[in-house]
Amino acid sequence: MLGSIKSNKFQYESQKLAMNYFRVAIVLFGAQLLMGLIAATQFLYPSFLFEVYDFSVARMVHINALVVWMLYAMIGSVYLLLPDETGIEAVGIKLGKLAFWVLTAAVTVVVLVYIFIQVGPGSEATIWLINEGREYIEAPRWADIGIVVVVLIFYYNVFATYMKGEKTGIMTVLVADLFALAGLYLCGMFFTSNISMDQYWWWWVIHLWVEATWEVFVGSLAAYGLIKILGAKREIVEMWLWIEVLMLFGSGILGLGHHYFWIGTPEYWWEIGALFSALEPVPLVAMFVHVLYDWGKEQGHAEAGQAGHAVKNSPAMAWIAINAFGNFLGAGIWGFFHTLPQVNIYTHGTQFTAAHGHLAFFGAYATILIGMMYLGVQRAYAIERMRMTFKTKMAIALLITGILGMTVSLTIAGYEQVLVERADLGGGWDAYFIAQNLPWMLQAMGWRLVMGLVMFTGFIFLVADLFTIGKAKEHAEQESVGAAAA
Amino acid sequence: MEPVIMLPQIAADEFLRIFVVATLVLVFGVGYAALITLSKMGLIPKRVAPFGYIFWILQAYCLYDLSVLIHSSPFTAKVLMVAMLAYFFAPHLYFYLIEQSEKRYGEAEES
Amino acid sequence: MSEKKVSVWTSITFWRRSAAWVTGTAVVLLMWLTFNTIGQISMGTDEDLQNGVKKRIPAPTVINYKIDYAYDEKRGHEVPVIGEKELFFGKEWSADEAAELLRHGKLTQQAKNCMNCHTLLGNGAYYAPDLTKAWLDPKWNDGTMTGITGKDTVEEAMAEFLMHPSQFPTHARMMPNLGITKEEAIALVAFLKHMSAIDTNGFPRNFSQSAKRLEGGTHAW
Ligand code: HEM
Ligand code: HEM
Ligand SMILES: [Fe+2]
Repeated sequence: MLGSIKSNKFQYESQKLAMNYFRVAIVLFGAQLLMGLIAATQFLYPSFLFEVYDFSVARMVHINALVVWMLYAMIGSVYLLLPDETGIEAVGIKLGKLAFWVLTAAVTVVVLVYIFIQVGPGSEATIWLINEGREYIEAPRWADIGIVVVVLIFYYNVFATYMKGEKTGIMTVLVADLFALAGLYLCGMFFTSNISMDQYWWWWVIHLWVEATWEVFVGSLAAYGLIKILGAKREIVEMWLWIEVLMLFGSGILGLGHHYFWIGTPEYWWEIGALFSALEPVPLVAMFVHVLYDWGKEQGHAEAGQAGHAVKNSPAMAWIAINAFGNFLGAGIWGFFHTLPQVNIYTHGTQFTAAHGHLAFFGAYATILIGMMYLGVQRAYAIERMRMTFKTKMAIALLITGILGMTVSLTIAGYEQVLVERADLGGGWDAYFIAQNLPWMLQAMGWRLVMGLVMFTGFIFLVADLFTIGKAKEHAEQESVGAAAA
Repeated sequence: MEPVIMLPQIAADEFLRIFVVATLVLVFGVGYAALITLSKMGLIPKRVAPFGYIFWILQAYCLYDLSVLIHSSPFTAKVLMVAMLAYFFAPHLYFYLIEQSEKRYGEAEES
Repeated sequence: MSEKKVSVWTSITFWRRSAAWVTGTAVVLLMWLTFNTIGQISMGTDEDLQNGVKKRIPAPTVINYKIDYAYDEKRGHEVPVIGEKELFFGKEWSADEAAELLRHGKLTQQAKNCMNCHTLLGNGAYYAPDLTKAWLDPKWNDGTMTGITGKDTVEEAMAEFLMHPSQFPTHARMMPNLGITKEEAIALVAFLKHMSAIDTNGFPRNFSQSAKRLEGGTHAW
């Protein structure tokens, strides 16, 4: 990918900027995995880095790097598709570039402070300068404000370009969705002594991101991908996009209730949360069927020898198809598993939650964002038809084996925790440690680490592939054709 | 008034069944949708499609079983069964939409 | 195009409008529920406590009372029970003092990043025990931790532990020293005691039974 700076065939500055966002995203993805490995090691060998680089620090950087790399890759994806959809250059591209550097500098400072300062005294100053101590959105307040400013610049760019250029359905969805996504962040930016109130609003950011606004975002990316890669008919894709928006928001917004069972909030959330969150897998099934149907149909056309119907970017298409399945599996199946209050009272806050969190984040988001990076590389080299290389396939195989293996291990661990710590012993300090030290748990934790290493190997293949696939011989002969067509 | 116990206790040895049945609900659900989809796409022969309905029946049974296992109220159980009925029509509605939209907007781009 | 008979079901406009309406309705419902919930999860007042008015989130002065967690026939699960007055760190705290203490405790909880090892109200990380009802845990109330730390009261034992956690290990997996001062430790204990009085609809389930069940050991394996 770095190589693409030189052989850059983008027509639009916006798309060059997109590649910058992708580069930082991939670095943070790597950092995320390393931190996960440290934390997973500490589960097995608690003295590893004890009081030097504690579990809490490793985990904080793990999940923060996760959220930030995904946001980077999302912004990158928008800058990539913006000129395609609107037909014009992003209007405030200079400002956009400045915002990129400001954001990256801020992220660097935040991470360095996390790693080297770690914790502060119990005062407002710590929350403003070091970390806010709230899962996923630990970024200190100064950085929150910086993020809001940068996001406003980004949003201005998207909105103004949309107003000036062509207004496609995909762009309309994105413009509305990004507005909600950015606005929700504000719900996580205040302090209260009331832990229930704190968590009530905290979930607005976390849940309404991953189960509403991010899902709709992914729907838009998939729609764009189907048009770009398969040449699917825009009207049909956009009609489905609106149906997906309807189902995702219709279930996801009130599905928020599944986090309000036990945090001090009233009982009526049991029914509301159960009903709406049980509906959440429905749009995921629809998205899955839709992507596969289109893929199968176009492949049929291609095999029949019809021109213009070949898959134009098979690595990206593969990741989009994996996304459709992973989203359904991780969010749909693993989510449904524990979303009814009758079950959740036992599984709440166990390794089971971690199993779901990993498979859902990877399946629903990491996959399609990786696909978008491949689309970016294809454009950077103006390749007409991009094919998979050996490395592409290795990355896919290893990352998927790793995440599935990890999920299965964590599910077994969670199941044991539910049985022993919760159902049998009723929770509490001793019950917790009895469950943690049983062989089932220890072995599951061992396998999780092994599978983490498998994932990391897959990641190395992925990076190597993104760096080199643009020049790979598999599609090299078509480069000149591509340049002409562009 | 009789106290209404919303969340009765679940015995430790019931959990495995709950987990398995909850998974089956979704797996059969996908199976049903998948068979109908694949047959509409022409990837499998049309006569296999009716087996999809067997999946649907299994799914309905599993969901019913789940509602019993977690001791849900009769009302919730009814809601779930109505949802199953809706799910029965979902793929048909879906392909009706696909056919109609292809008629209206034409086949994929001819380039 | 115009001659073709087209169905409304394939109309993009139809679906766009429907999506907008459904989303709008969901948002309005959520707003309405939020207003109701916010009312119910705002902290109670000291008067509520004195008059025995139950609040889901009691006033900070709940630290001046004995707290229990017991099965409620009517609700079908365990609920916090606020009992007689008791001293907290040897004194009774005024409403202002208690509020300030709770605020300091919550700030410290965030500053020291507790949630990235523990769960609070079941949310957080899974490397260490849930703290929702930590104040009521048998471990602190059956003499184990008071013994290990050499303190007389639960609150003093907790504060001592929080200041030097790795000096009082119970398992190979230890809590690290986070540089917690005496004042911060007292505030944290107040935060934990207050949290244990929050009505969590019966989570963690069967917690009030755990001391009894632990004696029997686990039956699962
Ligand atoms: C792509 C979408 C999704 C992502 C990325 C995701 C991710 C997560 C994560 C990371 C958590 C843990 C939060 C924490 O740290 O406390 C969580 C919790 C939860 N998720 Fe999801 N989720 C998704 C979709 C769903 C869906 C569709 C459902 C339901 C059908 C669901 C049900 C739940 C429930 C019930 C919890 C609470 C677990 C507990 O009580 O401990 N999720 N999710
Ligand atoms: C090398 C691979 C990885 C390893 C070894 C690893 C390890 C870990 C560990 C040890 C935790 C802390 C769990 C706890 O609190 O008990 C964690 C949390 C988490 N990780 Fe990973 N992880 C890896 C990859 C990933 C990936 C690829 C994603 C998502 C794309 C991810 C998302 C998360 C999330 C969302 C949480 C918080 C879960 C929750 O609170 O429920 N991790 N991970
Ligand atoms: Fe959620």
